[in-house]
Amino acid sequence: MALIEAPENTPVWLDESRCKACDICVSVCPAGTLAMEYDSSSTLGAMVRIIAPESCIGCNDCELHCPDFAIYVADKKEYKFAKLTEESKARAAAIKANNYMVIK
Amino acid sequence: MAFNYDQYLRLEKMPTLWCWGCGDGVILKAVVRAIENVGWKQDDVAVVSGIGCSGRFSSYVDFNTVHTTHGRTVAFATGIKLANPDKHVICVAGDGDALAIGGNHTIHAARRNIDINFIMINNFIYGLTNSQTSPTTPQGMWSVTMKRGNIDPTFDGAELAIAAGASFVARETVLDPKKLEKIFIKGFQHRGFSFFDILSNCHINLGRKNKMASAMDNLNWIDKITVSKTKYDKLSEEEQLNLFPTGVLKHDDEAAEFCDMYEELKKKYQNNEKFTQDDFKKKI
Repeated sequence: MALIEAPENTPVWLDESRCKACDICVSVCPAGTLAMEYDSSSTLGAMVRIIAPESCIGCNDCELHCPDFAIYVADKKEYKFAKLTEESKARAAAIKANNYMVIK
Repeated sequence: MAFNYDQYLRLEKMPTLWCWGCGDGVILKAVVRAIENVGWKQDDVAVVSGIGCSGRFSSYVDFNTVHTTHGRTVAFATGIKLANPDKHVICVAGDGDALAIGGNHTIHAARRNIDINFIMINNFIYGLTNSQTSPTTPQGMWSVTMKRGNIDPTFDGAELAIAAGASFVARETVLDPKKLEKIFIKGFQHRGFSFFDILSNCHINLGRKNKMASAMDNLNWIDKITVSKTKYDKLSEEEQLNLFPTGVLKHDDEAAEFCDMYEELKKKYQNNEKFTQDDFKKKI
C-alpha cells in the first residue's frame, strides 16, 4: 500500500501549494482543529491553518473531503489522538459561526 | 503514515484546474483509494473521459488514459475493453456527456452489459461552458439558457441505466467520501456494466445564481435532496417526490457479460457451431 511518512509528532499536516481555500475541511472538522486565516499571498485571500493540533481526534474527514489533495491525517497507530471534548466542540461551532475564520 | 495519493497522480498537472471545493476532486480521491483497495495495478487500468469539467479527470491520474470527444467515452471504452478483456476500464463523464450528447452510447453499453465502470459526475449543470441547462438541471433553477427558471423535466440517470439493463447501478453523493469509496469498490469488483450516478456540487456555475454560492451551501442542498435507499423505500409516494435514493440501487450478478459472450462466440465459431435463439431463453 502506498503510504507517505508523517512529519514527526504531527496529527494533521498541509500542502499549502495545493490548497484553494474552499472551507470544506474547516466545515467538516468536528474538533475545531482547523480554521481559515486571511493570507494575502494565497489566491483566494485565505489559507487554512491548523490552530489546535492537540484537539485532533483523527477522524480523517478533512483528508477525505479535500478535493485538492492538500491535507493529510496521521494513522491512528502512530499518533495518540485526543478525545472529542466539549471545549473543542464549542470551538468548532464558534469557528463555523465566524464564517470559518480563526477567532482572535 | 497517511495514504499516498501522489503515486497515482500526474504531479506536474497539480494543483488541479477545478474550482475551489469542486466535487470532482473528492470523486478522484475516492476512485484512487478504491483502486488501491481493489488491488489493481496502474498499468492494468484505463481511464477514459469526455469533454467537460469531468473530462479533465483523465489528465490528473497516472493510469492509461484517453481524453476523447464529447459524449463518446463509452464508444472508446468499449473498444479498449474488447481488445483487452483482462484489463479494467473506467469511464468518467459528466451529466451532459453521459445523458445528452452521449445518451445513446450509455444506454447501449448498459444493454450489452459490457464490463465497464461508468462514473457519471452529476453536477446538475453544464459547468465548463458556464451554466447552460443540462438534462439533470432541476426544474425552476436559473441557467443561462433558462433565465426565468428551467421548465424541462429532469432525467434520472440511474433509472435510465436500470431500465437499459445495467447490472450494477449505484447512486452516492460527494458528501460522504467513505460511502463513495465503498460503492466504487463494490462496482469495480462487479463483472458487468457498473453505472455510478455521483451527485456533485458546482457552486460556481449552478450555485451562484441559485442562492448557494459557497461549496458548503451547495453540498447542504445536495444533502437535502438525497435520502438512503432503505429510508426512501419506506416513504409514501408523495414524500418521494424531488428526492433521490442513494446506495446500491441494482446489483445483478447473474447477467451475462458481453466479453464473456464474445469469447464463447469465438469458441463456437472455431468449432463450427452457432448460437441459436434457444441459447438465450429469457422473458421478453
